[in-house]
Amino acid sequence: MRAPVTKILLGFVLALVVTMCAPLASAQTAPAAFGPSAQSQAAPPAFSGPAPHAAPLQAKGPFGSLLTWIAQTQQTMQRKLAATVKDLKSGNALVAGFWLAWGSFVYGIVHAAGPGHGKAIISSYVLANEETVRRGILISFLAAAVQGLMAVALVGVLVIAINGTGFQVNAWVAHLETASYALVFVVGFLLLVSALRRLWRRWTAAGSGHSYDAHAHAHAHAHAHAHHHHDHRHEDCEACGHIVDVRDIAGPMSWKKVLAVVFAVGIRPCSGAVLVLIFALAQGLFWAGVAATFAMAFGTAITVSVLATLALGSRQLALAADGQNASWVEAVWTVCAIGGALLVMTIGLLLFLTSLGPARPF
Amino acid sequence: MPNWSLNGPQIVLIIALIGSLASGLPKGADAHPHVWATVRSEVVFGPENKITGIKQAWTFDEFYSAMAVQGLDANGDGVYTKEELEELAKVNVDSLQEFDYFTFVREAGDESFLPLKGPEDYWVEYGDTVLTLHFTLPLKTPIDPGAKGVTIDVYDPSFFVAFGFAEKNPVTVGGMAPGCTAKVDAPDAESAEAAKALSEAFFSQLGANSNYGSQFAQTALVKCEPR
Repeated sequence: MRAPVTKILLGFVLALVVTMCAPLASAQTAPAAFGPSAQSQAAPPAFSGPAPHAAPLQAKGPFGSLLTWIAQTQQTMQRKLAATVKDLKSGNALVAGFWLAWGSFVYGIVHAAGPGHGKAIISSYVLANEETVRRGILISFLAAAVQGLMAVALVGVLVIAINGTGFQVNAWVAHLETASYALVFVVGFLLLVSALRRLWRRWTAAGSGHSYDAHAHAHAHAHAHAHHHHDHRHEDCEACGHIVDVRDIAGPMSWKKVLAVVFAVGIRPCSGAVLVLIFALAQGLFWAGVAATFAMAFGTAITVSVLATLALGSRQLALAADGQNASWVEAVWTVCAIGGALLVMTIGLLLFLTSLGPARPF
Repeated sequence: MPNWSLNGPQIVLIIALIGSLASGLPKGADAHPHVWATVRSEVVFGPENKITGIKQAWTFDEFYSAMAVQGLDANGDGVYTKEELEELAKVNVDSLQEFDYFTFVREAGDESFLPLKGPEDYWVEYGDTVLTLHFTLPLKTPIDPGAKGVTIDVYDPSFFVAFGFAEKNPVTVGGMAPGCTAKVDAPDAESAEAAKALSEAFFSQLGANSNYGSQFAQTALVKCEPR
């Protein structure tokens, strides 16, 4: 698993470097690369006076100051991103390019720390499956990369190729969201079915509660050599301490399953990225939007990875709490497999239903 | 099963862990703003110091503005005229109906909202990379705010759009209204209503009618001196 993770990380960095370098060539030919700020651009045609400034947001209640801080940080960052894109046109392209990449990266981390972005889905998914930390990170990065690619593809096709309107982009984002949530529900359902089937097989294979009994366990262990031809699968389980066997409930890792969850989560483009892309395009700097999108996806992937790793860590803690006790270990795997699958289903269903609500005005 | 009794609390721990992963996450997708709007409101007075409606001007952030006007420069001259943006204005105010125009008018201290009629005189203007939506919301029944006052809140309960009153002239009094004033109150962190809003917001995260945004609501108070 190490190789794919490294490759994907490298891919991200490469995509960033390439897109960041593209403007440098063109910026050098531009005469006004170090000109004054963007204020001298186009005179406002119909707008009376400068744009009004909003008073800082403030939330009430005991957590008010924290919520206020989160909301204000996001607003400040978004304004800085917008200013940086404009600076690319008129200021020092190299410096502005660096700040755009850095700003988008940090924005991605912070933005993803709020709910959404497949964190809950991916965390529940790795919890439900026999996934390692490395695979959790891989899935997080793949999903973020697909989300970024979808945003670029959507804006590329709808806006650049057919000069569609903002309405059309919004409608497509909404359709893809609905499709994504429906797919998440299906993935959760399939996880649940396969977990229950494996559990059923174990129960029927293991006989009537044999392995839950500590005395029977000791007994079987002592006589393992004498009954070599008795029931191979059963003996394996007794001899090596259950753990390998009960993992079966969660099921082994398969690329098909990984790609299913990556696709289900990833086909929903990040709406933040779509906004940045269109704004950058309106400023005539599409490449900057693409760079920002991937820097943002990189930041998002880090946040999601951390949460998926935390989910795996808590399962590990739970397993270690009584690692010698076979029934405890089995219970943890069962709860994780079924609970995780149910979570994926529930999240998919709730989001799907919400996404069918009335179209938003903005 | 000798060890099960020992492990009971641990099972609870696991379930709690999974539960905490799930709580607040789904509907919370909207719990951080994607669009920012700066609000300027004009309280329109008719005869006898009665409020007849609210004139709104909402200026959006640069990202949303770029998205909204994308593809609407019909003649491609780089200028977005009122006519080119007519459809945008219509779509905006039409879909605002589902969301009660994000405008909540009450007699001060009252629970229920005063009914509003559909928007009139709506248009959008675009310039200097920001978009402003203008519209007037008439009250079904004009009301005299009196000394007690009438409050106006502008917010998106789901907090997808973060509304904030403008720093300068957030609320103005329009029309002939001697002795009437309008001002924005800073949110009162201590008030019982604020605490209620928070607990409501906390428990409504999973529901379709998330009320998270009400915590950020700023209230404008309109009062008139007795004549």
